[in-house]
Amino acid sequence: MMLIAGTVPIRDFPLTIGRAVLEGEDLVVDGRRIPCAQGTGAMISAALAATEYLRLEAPQVLVAGDTGQGKGTREIYEYLIQKVGDVSPEVMALHYCLPVMALMRRLCESIQRCPHRVLMIADAGSMYAAKAAGLAPCFDVFTPDASEMAFLADADATHPAYVARHLFDADTNRTPELVADAYQHKNAARLLLVKGATDYVVDGGDIVATVAEPNVPALEAVGGTGDTITGLVSAFVYAGLELHEAAIIAARSNRMAGKFAQATPATGIRQIVGEFPLVFKEYLCQWSGVCYTVGGEQ
Amino acid sequence: MAFLRRKKPSFEGGGLVLFEDVQDAMAAEKVLRKADYAIRLVAPPPELRAGCDLALEINLVERPGIERALKEKDAPYVSVAPLTVGTSQLLEIVKATDFGDQVMVRAGNMKLSFDKASGIIVNVSGGGCPDIPYLHSELMDKKLSEAPRPRDIGFTLCALMLDRALEECLTLWQGGEER
Repeated sequence: MMLIAGTVPIRDFPLTIGRAVLEGEDLVVDGRRIPCAQGTGAMISAALAATEYLRLEAPQVLVAGDTGQGKGTREIYEYLIQKVGDVSPEVMALHYCLPVMALMRRLCESIQRCPHRVLMIADAGSMYAAKAAGLAPCFDVFTPDASEMAFLADADATHPAYVARHLFDADTNRTPELVADAYQHKNAARLLLVKGATDYVVDGGDIVATVAEPNVPALEAVGGTGDTITGLVSAFVYAGLELHEAAIIAARSNRMAGKFAQATPATGIRQIVGEFPLVFKEYLCQWSGVCYTVGGEQ
Repeated sequence: MAFLRRKKPSFEGGGLVLFEDVQDAMAAEKVLRKADYAIRLVAPPPELRAGCDLALEINLVERPGIERALKEKDAPYVSVAPLTVGTSQLLEIVKATDFGDQVMVRAGNMKLSFDKASGIIVNVSGGGCPDIPYLHSELMDKKLSEAPRPRDIGFTLCALMLDRALEECLTLWQGGEER
């Protein structure tokens, strides 16, 4: 099972766990609606698009309302700390949460007690907490953008807002240096997908691929495009692809969806997500070897 | 594409006001700026940090007046301490990218885009703290000058960075209107 955990920006939204389904423009989990908007909603929507296309089990999601004060974050983490052994996901993706190092530390301890190894993916606040707590090596995949890559490279930073100026100001062509620093300080997951004008796929410190086409610069401005990449990586890993393959195909899919949507800075993330089925239909077989015929069989 | 860079003048304070949480620090900054103190938001020393911590660097000489101002306005803080170790600065680097009809402004890890003709906010991206999706929904489709300030309704450093971006957007937009 794939589990996606993160907060949703709805005050008093209770802790909810269940399978995500798409109804109209919203996601529905255990009868409660979540907008497909920037954040965990966009990530779930992208993962769901991929699992639907691949005819896999829909992601199980664990969500709670949090508008910045940390209530939903604590509910999610306390639930996982207590129950992750029972839930026992094969892939767990952690997303928008208040970065609280102590909670992340307890969660990583709990995961050690799972009956099998859990493949761990983190983005957004959960990635910040993992790095700040010195727990990055416990994770299999991080998906930082350029500013977050500088944060991972800065041994002392506890939040991307405090990154040393010489690192933050780095041109994107210095990404390899930042990657090397992050691995040297043990502040990187096994695999990094660094999102930017050129996406870098880094496995164990080695840059194994770059993705620069199609080039859709406006995607950087569209809220949620980083979240959709993480959702796609999670789904492709869950589908059984190697980590680097999942990252490369996620990066390509996101870019192609942006191209199909003719993205501008005013494009909404729903428009990008809406293009994924067409992107998969046209390119997934070619990119990954995961191919379906009209009868539905591989 | 056009790029803009700006760095605010440096400030040597020598003292730190420490807080329980980011929300208290942002409230105290508002109180002290209104009282015309020279201050800046910084990261407290690593041994005092707990995630999204924030402190106010102040001129230590002004400590009594600053503590009085905070107490008069019921602005809670933990303590005032001398700044004796190297402290990371909150990022002040702001960059703007011109997309033709829209401009995207990036401050730290946050990006805000607006329509050049109308001044309407068309997107918010970046960040990782849980108030960002909330702020995204609160700011979208609002005019820059009428949008709520992230520092007023947000709680985290990401919100603070977004506020910096909004501030720069307002400057660019108001400059554009004047032309």
